[in-house]
Amino acid sequence: MDDIDRRTLLKLTGGVGLAGLAGCVSTTDEGDGGDGGSDGGSDGGDGGDGGSDDGDGSDGGSDGGDSTATETAGGGDGGSGPYEIGMVDSLTGSLSAFGERNQRGKELALETVNEVGIDGRELAINVEDSGSENQGGISAAQKLVNQDGVPFLIGSVGSGVSLAIYESVVQDTDVVQLSQNSTGLGLTDFPGLLRMSPTGRTQSTALSNIIADDGYDTVAVTYVNNNYGQSLADAFVEAWDGEVAYNQPHDQDQQSYSGVVSEMNSSGADAWLFVTYQAEFATMVNEIYSSGYEAQLYGADSVSGDDVLSNTPEGSMDGMKIVVPSAPVEQDNYTEFATRFEEEFGDSPTSWSAYAYDCVVNAALAIQAADEFTGAALQETVREVSRPEGEKVTTYEAAHDILADGGGPSDVDYQGVSGPIDFDENGDPVGFLQILTVENHDYTGTGFIES
Amino acid sequence: MVLLDHIASGLIYSSIIVLGSIGLSLIYSIADFANFAHGDTMTIGAYSSFVAFGAVGGLGGAVLGLPLGFFVALLAGIAVAAVVAVLTEKVVYEGMDLDSIGMLITSIGIAFVYRAVVQMWFGADAVRYDIQALRPIDWLLPYGIRVTQHDVAIVVSAAVLVTGLHVLLQYSDLGRKMRAMADNPDLARVSGIRTDRIKLWTWVIGAGLAGAGGVFLGLYNLLTPRMGFDLLLLIFAAVILGGIGSVYGAMAGALLIGMIHELTPLLSQLGRVLPFLPESFGLPIGNQYGSAIAFVIMVVVLLFRPQGIAGEAV
Repeated sequence: MDDIDRRTLLKLTGGVGLAGLAGCVSTTDEGDGGDGGSDGGSDGGDGGDGGSDDGDGSDGGSDGGDSTATETAGGGDGGSGPYEIGMVDSLTGSLSAFGERNQRGKELALETVNEVGIDGRELAINVEDSGSENQGGISAAQKLVNQDGVPFLIGSVGSGVSLAIYESVVQDTDVVQLSQNSTGLGLTDFPGLLRMSPTGRTQSTALSNIIADDGYDTVAVTYVNNNYGQSLADAFVEAWDGEVAYNQPHDQDQQSYSGVVSEMNSSGADAWLFVTYQAEFATMVNEIYSSGYEAQLYGADSVSGDDVLSNTPEGSMDGMKIVVPSAPVEQDNYTEFATRFEEEFGDSPTSWSAYAYDCVVNAALAIQAADEFTGAALQETVREVSRPEGEKVTTYEAAHDILADGGGPSDVDYQGVSGPIDFDENGDPVGFLQILTVENHDYTGTGFIES
Repeated sequence: MVLLDHIASGLIYSSIIVLGSIGLSLIYSIADFANFAHGDTMTIGAYSSFVAFGAVGGLGGAVLGLPLGFFVALLAGIAVAAVVAVLTEKVVYEGMDLDSIGMLITSIGIAFVYRAVVQMWFGADAVRYDIQALRPIDWLLPYGIRVTQHDVAIVVSAAVLVTGLHVLLQYSDLGRKMRAMADNPDLARVSGIRTDRIKLWTWVIGAGLAGAGGVFLGLYNLLTPRMGFDLLLLIFAAVILGGIGSVYGAMAGALLIGMIHELTPLLSQLGRVLPFLPESFGLPIGNQYGSAIAFVIMVVVLLFRPQGIAGEAV
């Protein structure tokens, strides 16, 4: 009797374990996206300044959908009601911190757009939750594209989720998909999938240059065990000329990383590079501190944020250098955005809010410039309205006026609050990076790098 | 040298797992189902003590680098975890006329509810106790051991709690009744033991220990809504390895699982630890496979001893 119980329990436990593992896998995917997202999580993290990245590329998605089979005519088409577009966001799940920032950026952008209107009509955004999971993202996108019939889809945060949505929902339609926060390297291979946040490869290259310039020839690297971490770490190793003494992944959501830091310490390298997320990195910093290790720390954008600052001891990271996608903070439209953001939410924005903001504005301009409210028409305009060879404008209103006065999509070059946008042929924006150095337990901008 | 350090961190990690696994095992043996909400009960304990610590503050004084207020908060965490578990038992489990599988699935649902409440309240971001982080203890550094006073506090507190439980189980009236009930609930009831009351006490003790485990996990690491759930699989491994239903088995299992988990990095540097091997010798197994190795060892032990380390043979 007892025995049977135990066996049953074992089986069940195994089952749950498997389920848990499955969960991990999908988490990983999200994770990818998360990279970008990770900053997002911490609004203040970037210190406002750092936080604002410029994503160059808000427009670009034209390649994406070849096929015109799906009906994408949105609710707004032809009518006088609002133009309805869709957004898949991580409202819950592991990337919910980014999702929250995205929603704030989206709200501000909607306000901006609807104050002026799109040729007299309003913009409405149906937001669906991905749960930060691939499957959740796909169902959300299916609902938006197939039931609501939106021709323009903003989504999503995690690179894995964005790709999953693109491959299973968007690819064979002419719906425009514009990811707000995905920085995974793999997205470059899908020109139809646009994104507002620059690819992570720019970071890897920049980091290898910085570490080499600081005079180190041996480095220890640890990365989060998912597509995001692996791709960034691989790109780093590719770009790095010196010796890599340690290069190992670590799993997300572990309750202890003392093994990782002690191995990095035994590797003998003096420069340690972390490609992981805030919670994991905060744990590692605590373990580095409580173990008394001394090393020069470097990190990808996803390790910076309020979460890390508030959860690590003072002075535990001083001198650490982090590369984050960033807008030049002195840019007027960004400071205006930041002021409004702070008034509204009592928090300084991060780049991740700025990307979401630009996604919405770029979408509104694409809609205005298009002849009709269909995916096919939007494919033609979405890249053009923020690409050069038009008049450079920094606000939605100015761009709207050019289009309202009879200007075509290529007469406008919208400069986003997250950067110049300028989607390239792969749907990636121009990368612009800021170097943050931890001083007095806070992030200080110490320079910019263009990708 | 390296070995000592890894053993030390294994001991610390084990202490936390022990606190979680005892409760799981107790509740299994008396309430007769595997409580998947146990990990999230730890989370509740951690966050409750986080709130309590914020409210009472440090209160001055310090034991092992921890202000006295922290111990007050620890008690609060234990109390809240116990109260929540008892309420759940009263409201949900008690009225459920389900077999142990049904109860198990129900408890998974309860786990989600707990976690959702914590996340609604505190958000998804990590928080930590407002306690000065410590550097490693100086006089242990020459031995290559890098532990802080907080780590020592975790191990000592866990030892105190476990000893307390041992005394309770072996020498108190309640403990005798609990053991009687674990052995044979029907016989216990006929001999006049109020089994429903014993069951409630089991919940109090099991969830209280889980709450304490959660508080120490938060001190060891950070507080996140997923903290307990993420540890639950290892706790289950410990309980099953020890022999499910056996409290002492759970302790042994937890010690073993925690050790294996933290000793995994040694596999890649075996040459430095073992004699007669070249310095550079090592198995190509990174520490990200720590959990997998812990489970492999669990499976191997169970193959030879299906009832677990301390389980009774059938």
